[in-house]
Amino acid sequence: MTTTTQFKVLEQNHPRVDAYEKVTGRAAYASDVYLPGMLACKLLPSERNHARIVSIDTGAAAALPGVRAVVTGTDFPDVRFGSGALRDRYVMPREVVNFVGEPIAAVAADDEATAQEAIELIKVEYEDIPSVVNPLAAMVDGAASVHPDLESYEGYGFTLGHNVSTLLDADRGDVEQAFRDADVVVEDVYRSQGINQGFLEPMACVADVEPSGRLVIYASTQGPYQIRAGLAAVLEMPVSRIRIVPMELGGGFGAKLRLAFEAFPALLAMRTGRPVKLVNTREEVFTMNGPRLPVTNYVRSGVMNDGTIVAREAYTIFDVGAYLGAGPNSGIGHGIGAYRIPNFRLRSYGVYTNKIYVGSYRASGVADMTFAVESHMDHIAHEIGMDPYDLRLHNALREGDVSVSGAVVPSNGLIETLEAIKETMEWPRQLEDGHGLGLALCEWRSGSGPSTAAISINDDGTVSLLTGSTDISGSDTSLAAIAAEALGIPMSSVIVAKRDTDMAPYTGQSGGSRVVYSQGTAVQRAAEDTVQKLMALAAERLGVPEDALGCEDGRVYVMDNEPQGLTFVQLAAASITSRGGPIIGTAALSSMPYTPVFAAQAAEVKVDRDTGQIKLLRYVQAQDVGVAINPMAVEGQLDGGVVQGIGRALTEDQQFDPDNGAVRNPSFASYLMPLAIDLPEIEDVLIRVPAEDGPFGARAVAEPPGFGPPAAIANAVYDAVGVRVKQLPLSGERVLAALNGEYDDIPFDVEALRLAEGII
Amino acid sequence: MKQPLTLKINGENRLLLVEPFYSLLDCLRDEARLTGSKKGCDEGDCGACTVLLDGKPVTSCLVLAHSAHDAEITTIEGLADVDGLSPVQKAFVEHGGLQCGFCIPGLIMSATGFLQANPEPTEEDVRFAIGGNLCRCTGYNRVVEAIMAAAAEMRESA
Amino acid sequence: MARFDYLEPHSLDEALRLLAEGGDNTRLVAGSTDFLVRWRTGVWRPDSVVCMQHVPGLDYITWNPDDGLSIGALATVQDIEQSDEVRNRYPALAAGATAFAGVQVRNLATVAGNICNASPAGDTLPALLAYNAQCRIVGTGGERWLPLDEVFVGPGRTALESGEILTEIRLPAPAENTGGLYIKHSPRGAMDISAVGVASVVSLNADGACASARIALGAVAPTPVRAYGAEGRLVSQTLDAANIAEAGRLAAQSCSPIADVRSGADYRREMVRVLTERTLSHAVATAGNPPSYDDIRRLAVQTAW
Ligand SMILES: Cc1cc2nc3c(=O)[nH]c(=O)nc-3n(C[C@H](O)[C@H](O)[C@H](O)COP(=O)(O)OP(=O)(O)OC[C@H]3O[C@@H](n4cnc5c(N)ncnc54)[C@H](O)[C@@H]3O)c2cc1C
Ligand code: FES
Ligand code: FES
Repeated sequence: MTTTTQFKVLEQNHPRVDAYEKVTGRAAYASDVYLPGMLACKLLPSERNHARIVSIDTGAAAALPGVRAVVTGTDFPDVRFGSGALRDRYVMPREVVNFVGEPIAAVAADDEATAQEAIELIKVEYEDIPSVVNPLAAMVDGAASVHPDLESYEGYGFTLGHNVSTLLDADRGDVEQAFRDADVVVEDVYRSQGINQGFLEPMACVADVEPSGRLVIYASTQGPYQIRAGLAAVLEMPVSRIRIVPMELGGGFGAKLRLAFEAFPALLAMRTGRPVKLVNTREEVFTMNGPRLPVTNYVRSGVMNDGTIVAREAYTIFDVGAYLGAGPNSGIGHGIGAYRIPNFRLRSYGVYTNKIYVGSYRASGVADMTFAVESHMDHIAHEIGMDPYDLRLHNALREGDVSVSGAVVPSNGLIETLEAIKETMEWPRQLEDGHGLGLALCEWRSGSGPSTAAISINDDGTVSLLTGSTDISGSDTSLAAIAAEALGIPMSSVIVAKRDTDMAPYTGQSGGSRVVYSQGTAVQRAAEDTVQKLMALAAERLGVPEDALGCEDGRVYVMDNEPQGLTFVQLAAASITSRGGPIIGTAALSSMPYTPVFAAQAAEVKVDRDTGQIKLLRYVQAQDVGVAINPMAVEGQLDGGVVQGIGRALTEDQQFDPDNGAVRNPSFASYLMPLAIDLPEIEDVLIRVPAEDGPFGARAVAEPPGFGPPAAIANAVYDAVGVRVKQLPLSGERVLAALNGEYDDIPFDVEALRLAEGII
Repeated sequence: MKQPLTLKINGENRLLLVEPFYSLLDCLRDEARLTGSKKGCDEGDCGACTVLLDGKPVTSCLVLAHSAHDAEITTIEGLADVDGLSPVQKAFVEHGGLQCGFCIPGLIMSATGFLQANPEPTEEDVRFAIGGNLCRCTGYNRVVEAIMAAAAEMRESA
Repeated sequence: MARFDYLEPHSLDEALRLLAEGGDNTRLVAGSTDFLVRWRTGVWRPDSVVCMQHVPGLDYITWNPDDGLSIGALATVQDIEQSDEVRNRYPALAAGATAFAGVQVRNLATVAGNICNASPAGDTLPALLAYNAQCRIVGTGGERWLPLDEVFVGPGRTALESGEILTEIRLPAPAENTGGLYIKHSPRGAMDISAVGVASVVSLNADGACASARIALGAVAPTPVRAYGAEGRLVSQTLDAANIAEAGRLAAQSCSPIADVRSGADYRREMVRVLTERTLSHAVATAGNPPSYDDIRRLAVQTAW
């Protein structure tokens, strides 16, 4: 179903509203802020992964000429904060450090070199505490405890012990019986690696204290209101004393959703009365700011000979590192994937370890789950001798099925995406030796959360759009397009206001696939509200009832007599002196109905049997986008997402020291993200089954593209050379080991977990 | 201690006071306040700091500022003029070759330097030429498309 | 981030004098690509740097039949990559240059710096070894010539005395019927540090037998090394698949790789075997008939054969 024709603005390519600033170097990011008298901030990282701080001697650092202030953990109020309900973390440790790299002191000095010299003069005495680095070891009796006092923390809801911070579960049907009834049972363990979000702009912020004592933060953030709340908590200040100015965002992908290091320059600015700038080095980004940590996935399925999957059991262990910087929250439903499975038992454990805390990244956890589930689907297909495409089609969710969360699946384009892939990739196809094809299905939902928008009409009929969300992935351009479409005016008539937390209405974070879907709906409704008010004014001026009026192309007219009417311009001008005053349309919402997003992807690879290396020859993705607000931007999102997934599949690998948990490869020279030279042209197919909700039927787009590549490529490798690698990345070394029969399965004691729960 | 240094940046002589240990990137940003060149890594790995030295793309974080006194330095701020964007800049806008934009000044400088020396590139040449530029957002598809389009446009108007 | 002073000599003599005056607290820099990274990570903390960039007359690449190829100390890796002489006569070196970082780093990095930095993974080094490079080393006391394999002493360590400068690298003219290739093994097609790099250069007699074979290995020993055992196995043999396979095995045996974030040791050793075979086969196939630049570029980085 294509609805393209009815739109005037949507479904057409528009350059980004910020494109000119960005190609000329004029766009200002947080590190581009220079204020008079500004000081530079540097941080001291912990050298230990679990230790009591016996003493920190900052005397020599403070005495260094040019140093203006030094702060440590005890200079901050004695309050813990957290990324969610559980408050497990000090903004800077007071007594105990929990990972190598954790910042334990901050210096403000006249320039960066002096600040760094001061950092090197700080002397710390540590007393080691037993630590644990491997999450599977952390769950065993007698393991060292990362947070011995966890139960006393605010927001703690469990008493599972063994370093378990969270346990999510979902159950349906009679799982044991279904496994007994199944013709075939297939069981696998998969492991995915640590992943850095890889945004190009390091974390940065400038803190300034206004003469009134109000704190202003120029930030690199996806969540200005969340930083404000976080700062208010850790500095014990009212929200009203803090203003966050979100600067241009140089990538975040989830890593910049919450409070990061803003409190350090903030406190230093308060101590010195001068602006303080903190720009992290790339090494600090890798060692101080939470990445995704390795995930182990146990998956078992009961299958009938005709391919029907009747039972699924999945146990997932998410390493959360030292703090719950982001939960395994997105993971749980994805132990099923885009399939109808009547009986299931799903468990996700979040387990503390003494390594860098886990952070968010593009639908945290789902890519790990998708790798496991979609590799497992191919394994099932081979066990029962069915084509992997047919197996997927046979089990795919259909409209009216009940999703894991219990919501009924509304109309969607899942089947269409599968069919599109089959056609584009010419599946199945006979290939040369060493070449292979692989498939993966991706499943996600559009995100909700507090969303607000205000549209005010200018005296010439153009409009200003004000929202609280920061621009990510071109969302400003999409929001402008939605407003233009709803108002029937051209894109060029929409001003997207630059905003900060003082002026824009409260909004949730820019992340989790929610901006265009939820925020976009708010914009659409604000536009409708605006139109309503314009109509009321027109009715008044034209002397006819409102329901006699139509509205099109920026003009309100009398339906029976089209020439009689008023343009927006005329109405805008009129509104200024009207009884009701200048027109502002507003809207707010908080939750949106369940709207799934599906994508099918396929890879064609060539495997070098001598080196194990994989060459990606083709990559095709078909995604149900509902409606493409701005097709060029939508494809850009799909391309970018898939390439992140390709990095996850092939080369990215955040490694940790097995003894102290330290990040072993904290640089772009050793954490290897894809380069243009490594990639084929990504082929995108947009499927358009409009969502029942969401702006003009649009669905979220950004997250699913990144889920599929690890499984699609692993499945293609199997197709090419007959070996299944269950651990990411699919390095030449691993593939060669598998080809030589030297590849070991990943040990996983599922019995112990079932026992702990009393299931058997 | 900061030392005087005259640099020829975007055709203009700039007299600056610069620490002897400063990189060209730090000098451009902190002293010349040309903040279009970005610091993504400060280790030569990302290409966000790419500028042209005598027409050749280099990572300015790996250049000692004081060693650049006899070179013509071109930064992203030097490409557009009052008549508008350069062909490469224009192509990036029109083909949607950008998202967060942090890598973009570097990519545009790499592409500009490359096309000056290679007016008729293949797509493979383009991918090789931007092999030193990381972009996390775009997946490079539209970046490559934009550079190919700019090449065509420049050939036409040449 | 320790501060340093910037010194800029305008002649070789002045550079030598500044180095002598500064002693161990000063460091010579050319392209400064290694230097600035090491300095920022705190590994190198000199009080001053002596920047060679403005010493005139050192950025040449010249060729003549008697002396072969002469590379001045300020010639960059990009200069090498772009040189027709290098592409046609020393394809393994062209491959090493094309596999090196990205163009922005190649435009700064010097070949001499790659040698003096003495990383076992330096991408120009195996080819330079395989072409029998000679180094002209100048100090306040005069100059000396040293074969390249005697320059490497250990990881990051060379035979240069404090205050000495490498001013020129010379590669003898290859014999008539010579072919060569370097292959870099790395996860990505650019910007990576080699997990393994192998260069092979073979010259054939009129009857097709091997007149000479030189094989050099990168990133699998404390320094780049020649695989003398494998080379010896090939001389005066016909270079058929069996002999080439045997040479691969001998080369793999002769190295001493370590495990790190990039690779395990056994995998590295196995890659030496594979790349030795592949570079040798290619060298034989293209002896006297150099591959096109596009082919060199495609072959130089081993993401898939
Ligand atoms: C991002 C990045 C990517 C890289 N990728 C690669 C790669 O793919 N392959 C690779 O091999 N290398 C790579 N390198 C390493 C580096 O670029 C090379 O080693 C380069 O050749 C060094 O040359 P330079 O002129 O920059 O040396 P400099 O940094 O100036 O000096 C390096 C060392 O050599 C000494 N030195 C330099 N010239 C002389 C001389 N003439 N006489 C005596 N001593 C001298 C210096 O004192 C110093 O100790 C990379 C580096 C970076 C930062
Ligand atoms: S900042 Fe120079 S290459 Fe990354
Ligand atoms: S556009 Fe964001 S890194 Fe390239």
